[in-house]
Amino acid sequence: MTPGTLQGMTQDSMMTKTDPQAAKSPEVALAVRNLNFYYGENHALHDISVDFQARRVTAMIGPSGCGKSTLLRIFNRMYDLYPGQRATGEVMFDGRNILDHDLDLNILRARVGMVFQKPTPFPMSIYDNIAFGVRLHEKLNKADMDARVQDVLTRVALWNEVRDRLNAPASGLSGGQQQRLCIARSIATRPEVLLLDEPTSALDPISTARIEELLDELKEEFTIAIVTHNMQQAARCADQVAFFYMGRLIEVDSADRMFTNPKQQQTQDYITGRFG
Amino acid sequence: MADRSHIVKSYEQELGQLRSMMAQMGGIVENQVALALSAIADRNEEAADAAARQDPEVDQLEREVEGLAIRLLALRSPMAGDLREIVAALKITGDLERIGDYASSIARRSLRIRMPENQISLSGLRSMGRLVQENLRRSIDAITQQDSNRAMEVWHSDRAVDEYYTALFRELVTYMMEDARNIRACTELLFIAKNLERIGDHATNIAERVFYAVTGDNLPSLRPRGGPASALTVTETMQEPDVR
Repeated sequence: MTPGTLQGMTQDSMMTKTDPQAAKSPEVALAVRNLNFYYGENHALHDISVDFQARRVTAMIGPSGCGKSTLLRIFNRMYDLYPGQRATGEVMFDGRNILDHDLDLNILRARVGMVFQKPTPFPMSIYDNIAFGVRLHEKLNKADMDARVQDVLTRVALWNEVRDRLNAPASGLSGGQQQRLCIARSIATRPEVLLLDEPTSALDPISTARIEELLDELKEEFTIAIVTHNMQQAARCADQVAFFYMGRLIEVDSADRMFTNPKQQQTQDYITGRFG
Repeated sequence: MADRSHIVKSYEQELGQLRSMMAQMGGIVENQVALALSAIADRNEEAADAAARQDPEVDQLEREVEGLAIRLLALRSPMAGDLREIVAALKITGDLERIGDYASSIARRSLRIRMPENQISLSGLRSMGRLVQENLRRSIDAITQQDSNRAMEVWHSDRAVDEYYTALFRELVTYMMEDARNIRACTELLFIAKNLERIGDHATNIAERVFYAVTGDNLPSLRPRGGPASALTVTETMQEPDVR
């Protein structure tokens, strides 16, 4: 990633960004400062300030409605799709405030990939599920596109399972395979940040373990933010954990400290399953 | 978030059961130590038998606590304070079991001691016994009340136990050097003193584990130490000029 890519915010700059593997990553990939978010009159996030460290997994936990998914959706400006929703404050990413109105959202969303709770394969072939997003941002010849598809499917450990049926509909895959395909689709555009909103809540334990293993590998290259209701998953996967409650960030700390010795009573009550 | 009860009642009940088993085990072990001390101080054979008879019950409770703790870890996936408490219980139960073993050992030895005619003073051993008993009582209170302050008191008090042991060691070695007929009884008493010192160490272990379970912080790895009894070698003492 060339520093300042978002500052130019041009399609060209998107094309010419360097290989993320070779890029020298900053310590902090996303710096959230005094962030407030409103669903119309509803003040959903209150003065959030937190750093998302580069090439680390940050898990966001908290009861339903605490604002963790809201924060995730701010990082790729998904809220722009809905009238009446607005954010104030700063989310600094590569030298730019993501909240700036003049930001090119296509570029932002290519650089900040997202995977949802339920697998959402496009109604097309396995191959095209990957190639579709890539074609929007890059012009690759057939051989290069084939190589990209193979590369990302290999990295999500799906290649051996689908190499003989790349042209079959993605809907024929199992739930776990579909979710891995969605992750492959997200990383095919070579983003720097990967957002995952409860990515394994609809999956069986084996598929969940595969995704968790995948996150462990992907974090060498991507900054990962994951929303999960599964405390054990946060403990297993995350380097850093942030606990939200009623739209406020209560505590953020390393996963080991958070799950053995949280500092805030509210965190302790939540993660041990006591009344809120 | 004022209510500190678990949403899952059966989880709360199981944690309560674990605490209750720990308290029961602590009570039995405390009683064993009291009986063992009585066996020495009052030459009470009945007390010695009673202390040794309680060993299987303690062993059984240890297995039950371990079983419940492992079950809680496997089925409840405890976190934070709950996790610390359960892991501490797993370790404390081992400490309590060892204390029970030492108490039995003291009780059995007390029956073997044949005091020579020139009576050896047991006042030092009695004082050490009282302090160890007090530390054990406080560490068990710390478990049942989840009281980190009480745990800290025990931790600080271990130095005094060590000092008692060092003084007793000197005293008993002196008795042995004064008259070879004292050696048999004094050797038994030395083992008893060592067992008491070890009980004190396990009480301090318990205090450290309770402190961690309650606060999430560790006490310093270096405990306050009394005189280095092991450094006081028999050779050094025997080389004193006034000793034959």
